Amino acid sequence: MTCDQTKALFADYWSRSLSGTNEAALEVHLAGCEACRGELDRLGRLWRELELLPAFEDAVEPGPKLRPRFYETLSAYRQGLESAPAPKLPPGPRLASLWPRRVAWQVALSCALLLMGIGIGFAVRSAPAESRGSEVAQLHAEVNNMRQLVALSLLQQQSASERLRGVSFAYRVEPSDSEVLAALLETVNHDPNVNVRLAAVDALHPFAASPAAREAVIQALPRQTTPLVQVALIDLLVDLKEKEAEPELRRLAGMASDPGVRQRAQWALEKLQ
Amino acid sequence: MKKLICLGFGLAALACAQEPQRLTLPFRDPSMPKKLNVELMLGSITVKGYDGNDAIIEYTGRSIRPSGRGGDAPPGMHRIGGSGGLEVTEEANTIRIRNGSFISRGDLVIQVPVQTSVTVKTMSGQNLTVDNIAGEIEANNFNGQVTVTNASGSVVAHSMNGKVTVSLNKVAPDKNMSFSTMNGDVDVTLPADTKANLRMRADDGDIFTDFDVNMGPPAAPQVQEEKDKSGRPRTRARISGAEQGTINGGGPEMQFTTFNGRILIHKK
Repeated sequence: MTCDQTKALFADYWSRSLSGTNEAALEVHLAGCEACRGELDRLGRLWRELELLPAFEDAVEPGPKLRPRFYETLSAYRQGLESAPAPKLPPGPRLASLWPRRVAWQVALSCALLLMGIGIGFAVRSAPAESRGSEVAQLHAEVNNMRQLVALSLLQQQSASERLRGVSFAYRVEPSDSEVLAALLETVNHDPNVNVRLAAVDALHPFAASPAAREAVIQALPRQTTPLVQVALIDLLVDLKEKEAEPELRRLAGMASDPGVRQRAQWALEKLQ
Repeated sequence: MKKLICLGFGLAALACAQEPQRLTLPFRDPSMPKKLNVELMLGSITVKGYDGNDAIIEYTGRSIRPSGRGGDAPPGMHRIGGSGGLEVTEEANTIRIRNGSFISRGDLVIQVPVQTSVTVKTMSGQNLTVDNIAGEIEANNFNGQVTVTNASGSVVAHSMNGKVTVSLNKVAPDKNMSFSTMNGDVDVTLPADTKANLRMRADDGDIFTDFDVNMGPPAAPQVQEEKDKSGRPRTRARISGAEQGTINGGGPEMQFTTFNGRILIHKK
């Protein structure tokens, strides 16, 4: 197993959905590869941090075991409190004697303390602002990295429904991500399920700025035999105003087996004029 | 670890038009996820979920010649064989069914446990029907309709030249679904409390539903500056693209696509 193959399994590993053989292969590789072990560990920490972020899908219902476990913890804590020695009373009278008797002095002291607090707050806040900005950027990059991993690993699944989920994850990565683009193009050209290919064509829209993507869409057209996917690709090319596609569209307008596709190609040629 | 058994059964030699051939094949490990994978060139397929652990396969071979062109039995005779046949394999809890020969044709009825994931594909099946399945369903028919009823998992269905009808009693959470056809209606019935993000596209037809759909903001119109034939500048704007909306607050994505038909989304 190569490092790249191993990395594709990380997301499954942390979501505990790895099959037995894959897990064994992963562990064999990890035993011999320091870099991957570090990476896996780092991703695990990130994965746990991600869990703390507000969920973008449905919130998870607490399991039935949560309630009894909570009460167990609570009663254990109470027992601990009872057996511990009683805390010493605070030295109330001595502190109270420092507090001025007169209302005016009380107000003045309160204001002074408030101003001091605000001052300290500003001093503390202005210092690490810069480093926090870079932390956010780093976290942003790592989230993107994680989404990329999830999209790539879902696109490899056997179940069509899971691969569709992979395609919808592809919408959430940066459109400059060339690995996800390559995986989407692979799906458009080779996925055995029509519906998955169709969804992948739609997901290519955000990647349209890349010349490589436009080129690949034109090349995908002659490989495709399913009319519905052909139509989706033709529409994509029209949306991209891709004039380079003309010869390919002309061929489809004349030779496509489906009349709907021939019409669509003819329509596209007029639009791109 | 993987064991393979291969059963080629010479149904053709025995198949008689009235009497279906029957084969019962167990899944190797009933506690593990079960899969059924069927690919036929010709013939119709029915998959039904039932309360049991085995796959029960019934196959009726038919003449490859259509009626009136040599396919009919001469007076006083009946068909006992000829072309046809089926190959069934079981490997790692996946049962695979393929046509024995490229042009054979027949009607296939398969009963599997309700909790089975089903992948069915046929090139020119009249009908492709899947009923009472709680696993993942993937159905693909080239020249005929796809009908899925009483499903309670997830469905990904496509027909090229037929209607796609899907009815779900329950929707598995976090499963993406997709329904598409080139030339036909997409007719989907969902439980009233289904949470989903809908992406709908009907190029040459309308979209109907009795759900309260929260439609997303319409896609920004595409404005194009261009010149007409005599060189005068003109502006052309197009408002279109996939329409999006959510039901019951949104959830996993469901995609509905038809080129020459309508989209109907019913509330159960």
